[in-house]
Amino acid sequence: MHLTLHINGIDHELEVPAHTTLLAALRGLGFHGVKFGDEHGLTGADTLLLDGKPVNAGSLLAAQAEGHKIATIEALGEHPEQGWKQTGGLHPLQKAFVESGAIQCGYCTPAQILAAKALLDKNPNPSEAEVREAIAGVLCRCTGYLKPVQAVMKAAAELRGEVSSDQLSVGSGQLPVQTDTPPGEKLIADDWSLTATKIAPKVILAPQTEQWQTVGKPEVKVDAVKLVQGKPAFAADLEKRGLLHAKVLRSPHAHARIKRIDASKARALEGVAAVLTWQDIPRVVYSTAGQSDPIPGPLDTFSLDNKVRFVGDRVAFVAAETPEIAEQALSLIEVEYEVLPAILDSREALDNPVKIHDEPEYVNFADSNPEKNLAAHIRIDIGDVEKGFAEADEIFEAEYEVPKVQQAHIEPHVCVTYWDEDDRLVIRTSTQVPFHVRRQLAPVLGLPIKRIRVIKPRIGGGFGGKQEVLMEDVAAHLTIATGRPVMYEYTREEEFTAARSRHPMRIKMKTGVKRDGTITANAMYALSDTGAYGCHALTVTGNTGHKAMALYVGDGEYRKSPNIRFYADVVYTNTPPAGAYRGYGVPQGFWPLERHMEKIARAMGFDPIEFRLKNAIRPGEYHPFSTAWNEGREPRPEIIHTVGLEQCVAQGKAAIGWDEKFGNEAWHNPSKVESRKSGGATLDLRPSTRRGIGVAFVMQGTAIPYLDMGGASIKMNDDGSFNLLVGATDLGTGSDTVLAQMAAEVLGVPLEDILVYSSDTDFTPFDKGAYASSTTYISGTAVVKAAQICAERIKLRAAKMLNTQVDRYTGTQVKAEEIRLADRKAYAPDGRSVTLAEIALDTLHHNNQEQIMGVASYVSPSSPPPFAAQFAEVTVDTETGQVTVDKLVMAVDSGVIVNPLTASGQIEGGMTQALGYAVCEEMTWDERGLIRQRDFDRYHIFRADEMPELQTIFVETFEPSHPFGVKAVAEIPMDGVAPAVGNAVLDAVGVNVDDNPITPEKVWRAIKGK
Amino acid sequence: MITNYHRPQTLDEALALLSQPNTVPLGGGTLLSHASPDPVSVVDLQALGLNYLRPKGNTLEIGATVTLQQLLESEYCPPALKTAIKLEAPLNLRNTATVAGTLVTCDGRSTFACAMLALDAKLSVVSDQLSVIGIGEFLPLRPRGLITQIVIPLNVHFAFEYVARTPSDKPIVCAALTQWNSGRTRLALGGWGKSPSLAMDGDLPPSPSGRGNEGEGLTAAARNACHEAADEFASAEYRMDVAAILAKRCLAGIPINP
Repeated sequence: MHLTLHINGIDHELEVPAHTTLLAALRGLGFHGVKFGDEHGLTGADTLLLDGKPVNAGSLLAAQAEGHKIATIEALGEHPEQGWKQTGGLHPLQKAFVESGAIQCGYCTPAQILAAKALLDKNPNPSEAEVREAIAGVLCRCTGYLKPVQAVMKAAAELRGEVSSDQLSVGSGQLPVQTDTPPGEKLIADDWSLTATKIAPKVILAPQTEQWQTVGKPEVKVDAVKLVQGKPAFAADLEKRGLLHAKVLRSPHAHARIKRIDASKARALEGVAAVLTWQDIPRVVYSTAGQSDPIPGPLDTFSLDNKVRFVGDRVAFVAAETPEIAEQALSLIEVEYEVLPAILDSREALDNPVKIHDEPEYVNFADSNPEKNLAAHIRIDIGDVEKGFAEADEIFEAEYEVPKVQQAHIEPHVCVTYWDEDDRLVIRTSTQVPFHVRRQLAPVLGLPIKRIRVIKPRIGGGFGGKQEVLMEDVAAHLTIATGRPVMYEYTREEEFTAARSRHPMRIKMKTGVKRDGTITANAMYALSDTGAYGCHALTVTGNTGHKAMALYVGDGEYRKSPNIRFYADVVYTNTPPAGAYRGYGVPQGFWPLERHMEKIARAMGFDPIEFRLKNAIRPGEYHPFSTAWNEGREPRPEIIHTVGLEQCVAQGKAAIGWDEKFGNEAWHNPSKVESRKSGGATLDLRPSTRRGIGVAFVMQGTAIPYLDMGGASIKMNDDGSFNLLVGATDLGTGSDTVLAQMAAEVLGVPLEDILVYSSDTDFTPFDKGAYASSTTYISGTAVVKAAQICAERIKLRAAKMLNTQVDRYTGTQVKAEEIRLADRKAYAPDGRSVTLAEIALDTLHHNNQEQIMGVASYVSPSSPPPFAAQFAEVTVDTETGQVTVDKLVMAVDSGVIVNPLTASGQIEGGMTQALGYAVCEEMTWDERGLIRQRDFDRYHIFRADEMPELQTIFVETFEPSHPFGVKAVAEIPMDGVAPAVGNAVLDAVGVNVDDNPITPEKVWRAIKGK
Repeated sequence: MITNYHRPQTLDEALALLSQPNTVPLGGGTLLSHASPDPVSVVDLQALGLNYLRPKGNTLEIGATVTLQQLLESEYCPPALKTAIKLEAPLNLRNTATVAGTLVTCDGRSTFACAMLALDAKLSVVSDQLSVIGIGEFLPLRPRGLITQIVIPLNVHFAFEYVARTPSDKPIVCAALTQWNSGRTRLALGGWGKSPSLAMDGDLPPSPSGRGNEGEGLTAAARNACHEAADEFASAEYRMDVAAILAKRCLAGIPINP
């Protein structure tokens, strides 16, 4: 049908089928700021303004929009500097989002901005609650909404003329510092703000940081300006002529053998370019886990197999001219299954006569055993655990359970594959692990590694879900079959049924304690469910013990020789495979550990914080597991140098008002109805409500020692700017920015002079990818080393140039090692200087020409753990069991914070994901093995209008193994929220819920004693 | 798959189109993705002028294509109904989802449908002829025909309570209660199943415990409505208990002598 769409003030004529959605029409016209997030409009990534109101483009037919005014992000503002052309620059909302750190992956940013614009057009002076309500239709999995809300409030203030854009700037490196804070403690706060919303964290600074110009400053993200404009930066934004669309036929059975498959009718359908079944492609066993070689897990997966092992497993691939034709073709593929008995309960998996993996090609790793449905088997004993139990005055045993949950990144898995002009296969994919994708897919596709190029553009969130070689093979096989470019984009349902998820576990704890509160032995057993395939089976579950069980070593003599046991069986079931999810097994460990510690403290009459601190690991002690386990590799003892737990506790307690609330019956039991704030809304406290406060201590790791390697190269340009090429993959975390900040610090230039590119297996150095909280630490050290190489050459050049001047005027000689780089100049000790631009011209064009360039890589011998104290405050309705989380505080020791804005964004977003783990997120399956939660209606993730208050405090320590003293930030916020909430519920109503999420019915049952 | 799109300018034109086989009305279109793979023609109702909100006597006439957000922003929308509408969908979807479309496609988790059931909304449905049917009859059967208008009473007291995993999540249990000046009391429950359930409609029975305890009958009715209310979100046992509590809270939120 013929349509005229009025988009951003211009009429666009188009001829489309009647079923074309407005989203498809707009993206076809090149408006890439409108994104696909789901089919139901529940992510809101497809938000645009229709007659000024935010609506979901994917939920409207293009035809419905005819006659209406459509506004997309592309019309809002543009880069302020376009060469000789003057532009109006960014819209105040866009500027505020850039400058407030409101952008992480940026996938939902255009939608949030448009929703906010609709509000401000109608209501120039909105309350925080109104802002939250306005953007609640746009899900963000990265930020926790705090900074986007603040950005809208800032922009509103500027649009009202109350604040100038200069005052909004945080990119200058100038921080408003609160003057009444104690020495060494700086409160980075926008005290000009008219709103009550705080975006920046409190930072207790390490003294070493004071001399730095860029590191430690809340610099604007290097990719923010492009993301705020909705530029075509993501994998699906690529336009290729002759592009085919892929779809996958998926199994309706949890366990079945394909007796017959006939794709002839599908192949005959007009518009179908290829249909592939297991009979059409080579049978190559591999693992989809995106990890370094050798993969520390079994090889148990085929691109297509004659057996299916879960509802949603692959049966056939189709490539067609349109997604609709591909979908239609799927329905024409005839499949006859021999349905096999299925194992849907992890407790029934071990030694079950039903064998999920009976393929002869199966390759074991370590103790995996397909005969027993065992993907991994872990037995770690540190010290003498039985002796420790014998020496205890009391033994505490309990069982806990954690659910399967979804990463739920708003950008789905998506990739485009094509042959380039050299007949090399290009895979443009939304991945956290581009180099692993290339290496692992090469044998699967029958191509040498050198004939594959993987390009990682911007990623719309990953959270571990994209540490998987999950679906690139589908498009690649179809490109090989057809010779044409192929795009494969997961539907939201596929994300829930056929991607990866967090391993559900059943966990037993046994802890021995002396009467004085000393832990004498601590043991954990985990039955972990890897689902149908063993991707990340060993390493995720290993980390459950490795990180969580390392925190409490005991006190006194036990501190010197702790008694710790971690046993685990990771079993196959006929459910969707688990995999990597931010935290990587550690949240599963801290739920039981910290619930257990709370129970012990209360049962023995100890203060829960003092009991924890008494037994927690301290600086200078060995990481207990470093002597026993290293992700399936050789363990090497490792000393933990920095532990900021005590200060985290002090700061966190003060922030949440622990001393005023804990043990205060009047606070717990509000005697009269009163109002409180929650997510901006005012709610009534009923007489049946009780308040509670809870705490959890957590630790994580920073990279995998002796394994994780990151590389970087830096080259100097004619104007004294630098290209920084890294294989590290910024999946929205801001790692490109913090890596550039470190380079800028070494090279003495502002951040804008570092042009970051990541990543492309052809151009950027190797990096293991974005996982294990490693990028700032590992890749950052590589960047610093590469920058130091450049700096050394620059200083030599500068000395030479200054000495030429010297000869002429003063006769004073300058040594290269005396040169200091700062402010885009090389300074001699006597104050004379030469600019980096002059040096660059000299080196590239004038004298003894050379390319100043540094290439370096880094692998660490240690994995310094970050630590945190996490606090939660809740209100429980004792009649219904409903839990409302009112406030979360996290005080974190992540070493030196390179960028407080991006780092606090990580903490806020992580806490929000973890909050879902605490109270609402859970994947369950029916008696057929079909996942029940297949959209964001049934799988609820937190929205902007229901958030508790979030507060982040950074307690800096200086980690000596890193040039700038950093440790990890990214994963630790996932660990402590759920147990802190569980402990707060116990504090409120005196009952224990030992399996998360803490749903109203579980609390109700616990209260009723059912 | 949608194969034809029509945007009629008059109701008659729309009805003529809808009389064709495999042709369905298109409200806001928010459930497009649920469309079957079979060919279907859609009739977009946006040009029919059915987006009105007008008080008439003691009632509010709501045109079929009024969006949820339009109703929410209306001065006639009681605060408790605003809460129910907000829980139905986030703002973006409320801007396109129509009141009629929401009722046609709702399941038991629909807070808006639960509220309409409690309010005893009357639906004008045009098929072969115009008929006005109560929502209580409409929901179980979902008869074919074009809804043109929904009428709700204005001279009533309306309360809404819910329990959910988070403040903005779809409720596990919700209760909507309407009380007329006559004493007629109507309780609807939602959160599970194919449609919200009507728990009671009538005068509150006197309580054996004496005056002021008339809610006992209401809570008993609430419990009775939940006997088979088990799904992945909650057990029937839980819903029975909590529905009674929510019903009581609804009643407590309404003045004793309305």
